[in-house]
Amino acid sequence: MKSLNFLKSSFIIRFTLCVGLLYAGQLAAQDGDAANGETLFKNNCASCHNPGDQVVVGPGLKGIQQRRDLAWLVKWVKNPNGVIASGDQYAVDLYNKYGKAQMTAFPSYGEKEVKDILAYVEKYNTAPAVVAVPGGGAAQPAGTTSGPSDLFTYLLVALLIVMLLVLGVLMTIVSVLSKAVTGTEGTQATGETFMERLRGGLTTFAQNKAVRTASVWFFILMATKATLDGMYGIGIQQGYAPKQPISFSHKLHAGQYKIDCNYCHTGVNRGKSAHIPSANICMNCHGVIKKESPEIQKIYAAVEANKPVEWVRVHNLPDLAYFNHAQHVNVGGVQCVQCHGEIEKMEVVQQRSSLTMGWCIDCHRKTEVNTKGNDYYTKLVSLHKTTTKESLKVADIGGLECSKCHY
Amino acid sequence: MSALCFVAASMSSCKRGHDSTSWEFAPNMYLPVGYEPYSQVSKNNINADGKNMREPVPGTVSRRNYQTTFGAGDSAVVDLMLYNVPKDSIEIAERVLVNPVPNNEKALVEGKALYGQYCQHCHGEGGEGNGLVAEQYKGVPNYKADAYLNMNDGHIFHVITHGKGRMWPHGSQMTPEERWKIVHYVHKLQKS
Repeated sequence: MKSLNFLKSSFIIRFTLCVGLLYAGQLAAQDGDAANGETLFKNNCASCHNPGDQVVVGPGLKGIQQRRDLAWLVKWVKNPNGVIASGDQYAVDLYNKYGKAQMTAFPSYGEKEVKDILAYVEKYNTAPAVVAVPGGGAAQPAGTTSGPSDLFTYLLVALLIVMLLVLGVLMTIVSVLSKAVTGTEGTQATGETFMERLRGGLTTFAQNKAVRTASVWFFILMATKATLDGMYGIGIQQGYAPKQPISFSHKLHAGQYKIDCNYCHTGVNRGKSAHIPSANICMNCHGVIKKESPEIQKIYAAVEANKPVEWVRVHNLPDLAYFNHAQHVNVGGVQCVQCHGEIEKMEVVQQRSSLTMGWCIDCHRKTEVNTKGNDYYTKLVSLHKTTTKESLKVADIGGLECSKCHY
Repeated sequence: MSALCFVAASMSSCKRGHDSTSWEFAPNMYLPVGYEPYSQVSKNNINADGKNMREPVPGTVSRRNYQTTFGAGDSAVVDLMLYNVPKDSIEIAERVLVNPVPNNEKALVEGKALYGQYCQHCHGEGGEGNGLVAEQYKGVPNYKADAYLNMNDGHIFHVITHGKGRMWPHGSQMTPEERWKIVHYVHKLQKS
């Protein structure tokens, strides 16, 4: 036992010594400031490089010192394009391997900055446990706070047991009572007479003239109402949600990723139409993201054939009415959702508003004109105030004039 | 009476699916008479590809009705903002292009709104490259990175117009004036 213990302790001492020496050796080789390196890395490099071995845009930096020497790295960081242009084989291969994406040049960086960053990369890779802990530590409290507390669970279980008990008692009472009732009940004859009585009563009721006339009138009125309702629906396409040639999801783009409507619908504050984005706008992201998806391949095919994607128009305002997006968005300050509904929650876009004339007029009657800080309206507002106490509405400045929309 | 019944039945029974536009009264009043770029039901026989939309004549330059005079009094400048700097000549843009939009509170407010519309989902609210799309897109830089701090107006304008690195050109989505306002706002973000 004693000798074993001794062996164990000596092993531990030797092990710690070894690790200590290794660590010291690394520090001596690096002589870079890892803390400064970390700030430099996170501000400047992290968008394209992972300090481990993951590929983000450029290669992961783990083991970079084994791959290249310091002089080359400094030269590369200062001017990557220059190194590639000089015909350095390694640099050219690197450039081609990572999709010909040029690394940003950091001409102000010298040996010191590069050494600091290398020290951070080394530290990151030698102590992965330290890096992993903050993430795990952060996740744990979040988990406990989101779940229900223990007391709450106990209460729920107790309530459930009580309810089951009550249910059991009720069931026994019902069964006992029903047994007692069937015991005193006579034969089925009474049941039959009841049915016969019911049938007789109903026949006399149906033969009553007043009842017959009333039911016929009821039917006619219902039919008329259904007809009128149906006729009111003519030309109203509310709820129209056609299948599009590409199953583009607004829920994903506008909802999850919060891309502004304006990014794709660029005409919304410039002209009559909000614009359906051309393929080059899709390519701004999908030149890189999800290239292999069959839906996105359809955009690639359209670009290659130089043919626009034929989307199905959802909001079809009749040609007899004029509508201009720019006027409503720029001047009126109307938000997209006010007419189009919560597009950011729609997988397939649906026409939410009725787009009837009544719907337009209703808004023009209710909406106040934003006259603040606009000299154009000063005289108009003072004139308006002499006649009424109501605020200036769109209807007061011509929002109900026929020729504003129909011409 | 029976006719009314039939109409009522046909009206109420046609609970249309989401794919149908349902009944239209006098469709010839609904469909555009003129050539609408975004509404088309039948083939256009005038254009070769059958579409109402036409590409601009090759070599033409679109002249939008935008502002050309900036600033007031003695410092007023006239700039038509017609640039012809090729994509690969960012050095020329850095040297030659001058921001005609005066850097004032108004320009910054507009710049911020435009930044929110066109840049924020990738570059993040504070320009730190941490937008929601950037997590998927990868490689979106921090404006405050040492290599970007000294970039001038012309450089940023050129990058918005033609793209750089992984970023694709965004010139088609914004007028030059809007891009210049974003340039002002990007500088503000770098200093914050």
